[in-house]
Amino acid sequence: MFTLKYLLRRLGFSVFVLVGALVLTFFVSHVIPSNPAALYAGARPRPEQVAEIEKKLGLDKPLHQQFYLYVSELLEGNLGESYHSRRSINTDLSIFLPATLELVIAAVLIALLLGIPVGVLAGAWPRSPFDYATRLVAIAGVSVPSFWLALIAQFIFFSQLDLLPLGSRISRDATLFYPVTAQTGFYLIDAAISGNWKAWADALHHLILPALVLAAYPLGITIRMIQTSMLEALSETYITSARAAGLSRRVILFKLALKNAIMPALTVVGLSFAYSITGAFLVETIFSWPGVGKYVTEAVLNVDFPVIIAVTLVVTVVYIFVNLVVDLLQSLLDPRVRLA
Amino acid sequence: MTLLAVENLHVQFSTPFGAVYALRGIDFELSKGEILGLVGETGCGKSVTGRSIIGLLDENAEVTQGRVRFENADLLQLSEADLREIRGNRIAMIFQDPAVALNPLFTIGQQIGDVLRAHGADLRSEQRERALQLLNDVGLPDPAQLVDVYPHQLSGGQQQRAMIAMCLAAEPDVIIADEPTTALDVTIQAQILDLLRMLQRDREISVILITHDLGIVAETCQQVVVLYAGRVVEKGSVETLFAQPQHPYTRGLLSALPRAGSRGRELNVISGTVPSGLERIKGCAFAPRCGFAMPRCHEQQPAFSAFGPKQQSACFLHEPLNHD
Ligand SMILES: Nc1ncnc2c1ncn2[C@@H]1O[C@H](COP(=O)(O)OP(=O)(O)OP(=O)(O)O)[C@@H](O)[C@H]1O
Ligand code: SF4
Ligand SMILES: [Mg+2]
Repeated sequence: MFTLKYLLRRLGFSVFVLVGALVLTFFVSHVIPSNPAALYAGARPRPEQVAEIEKKLGLDKPLHQQFYLYVSELLEGNLGESYHSRRSINTDLSIFLPATLELVIAAVLIALLLGIPVGVLAGAWPRSPFDYATRLVAIAGVSVPSFWLALIAQFIFFSQLDLLPLGSRISRDATLFYPVTAQTGFYLIDAAISGNWKAWADALHHLILPALVLAAYPLGITIRMIQTSMLEALSETYITSARAAGLSRRVILFKLALKNAIMPALTVVGLSFAYSITGAFLVETIFSWPGVGKYVTEAVLNVDFPVIIAVTLVVTVVYIFVNLVVDLLQSLLDPRVRLA
Repeated sequence: MTLLAVENLHVQFSTPFGAVYALRGIDFELSKGEILGLVGETGCGKSVTGRSIIGLLDENAEVTQGRVRFENADLLQLSEADLREIRGNRIAMIFQDPAVALNPLFTIGQQIGDVLRAHGADLRSEQRERALQLLNDVGLPDPAQLVDVYPHQLSGGQQQRAMIAMCLAAEPDVIIADEPTTALDVTIQAQILDLLRMLQRDREISVILITHDLGIVAETCQQVVVLYAGRVVEKGSVETLFAQPQHPYTRGLLSALPRAGSRGRELNVISGTVPSGLERIKGCAFAPRCGFAMPRCHEQQPAFSAFGPKQQSACFLHEPLNHD
């Protein structure tokens, strides 16, 4: 279990990491030679225009003062505005972040709901054809590049079978005829709340392919980790004593052994999920998924620093959050782990 | 009355080095309500014997001959599903180190509850009631608190008592206890053995007590079976066998035991080593270490000779010389 003291210390450490990430990205982005004011001004700006904008954005001030300004805005919850589109980054992220999270959470659910039972069974029947088949799937999931997987998936399910759409979050028809009113930004949730089942089905239809492609990596990791730690757990004496007590195979595998097997798998699996946030960036671009990935890719191409810094911060927060959740889960699952 | 009989049991393991002949013919009978001690040096096949009975041998094991009779059934022929009905319910097992035999991630109450559920108790409230009763029965103080505690929060002795409570959950007729006190302090050892004796007396549970300690056998058991290299060399009631050991191996073991009143030191340890399980043994397995070994001892296996109604020993010394 964990104590309040632990949570506070953990929170303090998270702030430290966050500040580190902020300082690093901020200063690196200001050292790289580029001309933000010119970007802000638009096509073919006149020099005096650029100078004026530099003044307006505070780019003429010394670096530490710029940093101070940025942080004081940040503390008020303001991530600034894009140099390129001049839109508020807060507004943009409130649209793009839910899209990415919806994709990542779907992928994570697929990986867990499929990976855990498959890993358990593969661990229960070592050296069986099923075991070898899952090893192959796991290795493929981890090593096949996601862009290749995405193209193959599109080729099969769109071009050949015409079962699933090529990309985007929802079809144009759905947007026109049964639009989803945004509340959480998660289409599946918003459509469900308003009982808009046609849009819900349409959104799910669009989600399947990119979520499956994104799930490949965490699925491979989950299968492998659960399978190895199941093998280990099943060789423990407490499993023999459970068998000696006449417990059924189902209880032994999915209750007694699995709870022990999840422990060592948790850290790696947690990390692979945090990793799929960045993995989502590529998948989003391929599937025209209007998420943070597409957003930041454009920002990088335009050298749009406020956006790059903001997205870096958001991703850091997600990493910190996932790590915290993993630690808390571990202490909840294992009474011997005391977080103090 | 014979409750369980092991007959001519042969078990071998396949290993990268070849077949390991772990059991080369084990015979003994367990009567209702008695404690039978299975003794022998390390590697002689005590644990393999115990595990064969309830079908918990490792995957590389094979029973090549023999039967385990239990109520008109041969346990070695039962399907996994039928065995599950026997395990825990009719024949339960206790292990050497309770610290690893209990699941670290479940409370004592949850683990007892699992056994109860596997054998038919469905109501949660009923399970808790039973668990409290069982913890009380095995002499644990404050069951109401211990039932919600995890194994690591208990002492070794308490863990073993909790393990025994788990074994009693489905009211078995037989408990196989594989060195149940080896991992515990001496004073705790005595308490656990007392508990086993009490269960045998009050509930008429039969116990197969596996140990390498003849002192424990003398104090706890009514019957004793002495194993050597996967075979029974001598067996009988504790009274007669300890008073008049017949087999040279048993005699050696008993004289190695520090006697009350002796000054220690003069331990008469048998010299030589146990044959490897990889060897096929033609004659008496003890021959290489036996001071009485004769030529035929290396060629033939001795049969059992009876010494009164309660004792048997397998050695050529017991047979009249003119027989060969
Ligand atoms: N899985 C296995 N693979 C190969 N050989 C095995 C296996 N299990 C047991 N054996 C062998 O079987 C023989 C008997 O082992 P067993 O565990 O029954 O000995 P034991 O009498 O219980 O000894 P101890 O007092 O050390 O517990 C040993 O020679 C051992 O090496
Ligand atoms: S049979 Fe022979 S070798 Fe074996 S114990 Fe008897 S005398 Fe010794
Ligand atoms: Mg043993």
